[in-house]
Amino acid sequence: MTTKSIRVDLLTRVEGEGALDLQVTDGRVTSARLDIFEPPRFFEAFLRGRGYAELPDIVARICGICPIAYQMGAVHAIENAFDVQVEGQLRTLRRLIYCGEWIESHALHVVMLHAPDFLGFPDAIQMAREHGDVVRSGLALKKAGNELMRLLGGREIHPVNVKPGGFYRAPSRADLAPIAEHLARAHELAVSLVRWVAAFPFPKYEQDYEFVALRHPDEYPINEGRLVSNRDIDIDIADYETQFEERQVAHSTALHSVVKRRGAYLVGPLARYAINFDRLPASVQALARESGLGPVCRNPFQSIIVRALEIVYACEEALRLIAAYEPPALAAVPLGPRTGTGFGCTEAPRGICWHRYEFDAEGTIRTARIVPPTSQNQPSIEADLAAVATSILDHSDDFIRDRCEQTIRNYDPCISCSAHFLKLSVHRT
Amino acid sequence: MTGTGDPAAMPRKVLVIGLGNADRGDDAIGAIVAQGLRGRLPADVPVVARRGDMLSLIEDWAGFDALVCVDAAAPLADPGRIHRIDLRGDSLPKNISLTSSHAWGLAEAIELARTLELAPREIIVYAVEGGSFDDGAALTPAVAAAARVVADCIVAEVGRLQCDSIEDLPDA
Repeated sequence: MTTKSIRVDLLTRVEGEGALDLQVTDGRVTSARLDIFEPPRFFEAFLRGRGYAELPDIVARICGICPIAYQMGAVHAIENAFDVQVEGQLRTLRRLIYCGEWIESHALHVVMLHAPDFLGFPDAIQMAREHGDVVRSGLALKKAGNELMRLLGGREIHPVNVKPGGFYRAPSRADLAPIAEHLARAHELAVSLVRWVAAFPFPKYEQDYEFVALRHPDEYPINEGRLVSNRDIDIDIADYETQFEERQVAHSTALHSVVKRRGAYLVGPLARYAINFDRLPASVQALARESGLGPVCRNPFQSIIVRALEIVYACEEALRLIAAYEPPALAAVPLGPRTGTGFGCTEAPRGICWHRYEFDAEGTIRTARIVPPTSQNQPSIEADLAAVATSILDHSDDFIRDRCEQTIRNYDPCISCSAHFLKLSVHRT
Repeated sequence: MTGTGDPAAMPRKVLVIGLGNADRGDDAIGAIVAQGLRGRLPADVPVVARRGDMLSLIEDWAGFDALVCVDAAAPLADPGRIHRIDLRGDSLPKNISLTSSHAWGLAEAIELARTLELAPREIIVYAVEGGSFDDGAALTPAVAAAARVVADCIVAEVGRLQCDSIEDLPDA
């Protein structure tokens, strides 16, 4: 019997801290665990006793990359509990700032974190020596997204302009005009980016995922919709806990989410795309087909194409929203607290981010529950790792290590959100 | 550079950036130094405090000829020790670890910007060794003292950088 170990002390190009442990016995992968050892951050616990108005600014601190996802889930839940509808131009502004987050988050991941895997570079710096124009494009896209978040949110990291009922300040049309110019250029860059990533060499691997995403009657989902899967789930977001549950596992400080009756499921770009391909504009559908994708993509490595397509979509959608924008009479709908439970669920760049809060009559938070996308994807990440590793066991340990890291990065995991990085061990016996 | 006339005769555009999280003990030194420089530098020298997204620094320093950065550093062997690192033709030393909880740190942002020819031609980094990076902690006394010294050094540094001829600048 021989034992072999491969160790990567620090998995780069993901947000957060964790480890991968691969057990190989008699030529078979017997265990593939994503160990997350980042200390739990107890957000749900320290939200108890805080006032509802504090909620959006506190949850924004959960993540520096996707703070809007947390703010939007929170304000939707507050408004749901207090029976307030936010519509018209305020709804437009919420969708617009979320487009900014999709653009900056996806551009960062596609160009700076994931693309080097496909081209054999250790990082984006080395890749920039041969693909400088693409890296400049990635930075320009990220900047365009950040500008949108800065204008509407006050700043791009942990924005401060979002409040229950709307915003503290709404922009004028003149405020948005220069952003529109930048977004038009960003759209061109994003289309080129789709074509660039579509030509990557992709491992031949598909998985029959249960995709779970929001679905809206008229729109590609961002802020609203029913929770729908490609199996039999089609529920109001308030019923999330009837179909899904979080389980504690010994090797992770982040909870694992599963469909109660079946197990692992997938959220994020591949799921959104598969559930909502018909909600994409014809221009984006055509670009997807030109890139070799049908209406459903089951190859997680090709998620990089779908992310790039979603950047194109977010640019188009932002431009459409800006063109039709008229400043609202009030920057926020007035609301008052009342006893109740509120639910919020939006499409973070990495997938659905679900919130539930109970409030008392003064609007004080009695309980809070937040289910971030990365914890929902953990079982699918582990299933992919086992399957991918099984298919390449005859390769060198270095090859297995690199491919496993790439597999994890398919998910753009934000381990910081789910509990933060990766040490890889392969044990062969 | 913008404007008319002989570019080599124009004052160079200098930017000062203080990096770090004001709520993480000695990691706050960049923000503290940036605050301490208010009113002490020429009006055409911006001083900004940044935390978190280091890639966005590439946007911040676009169009500047010279950059001065202040950041906290590990290891913690000698809290308050000041390292002045002149990056003309050099990289950040491997034994100095600038603190960042993100995948992209200052060193990576500078290296990427240089690769893409988007970096200021002259970059000076003041790295101050920290003693504690605990949540909510104040600066340790040694690092607080170093912050005052670094601010004085930057005032002098900016004066030198502005006066040097552009022709004296090394290629990036």
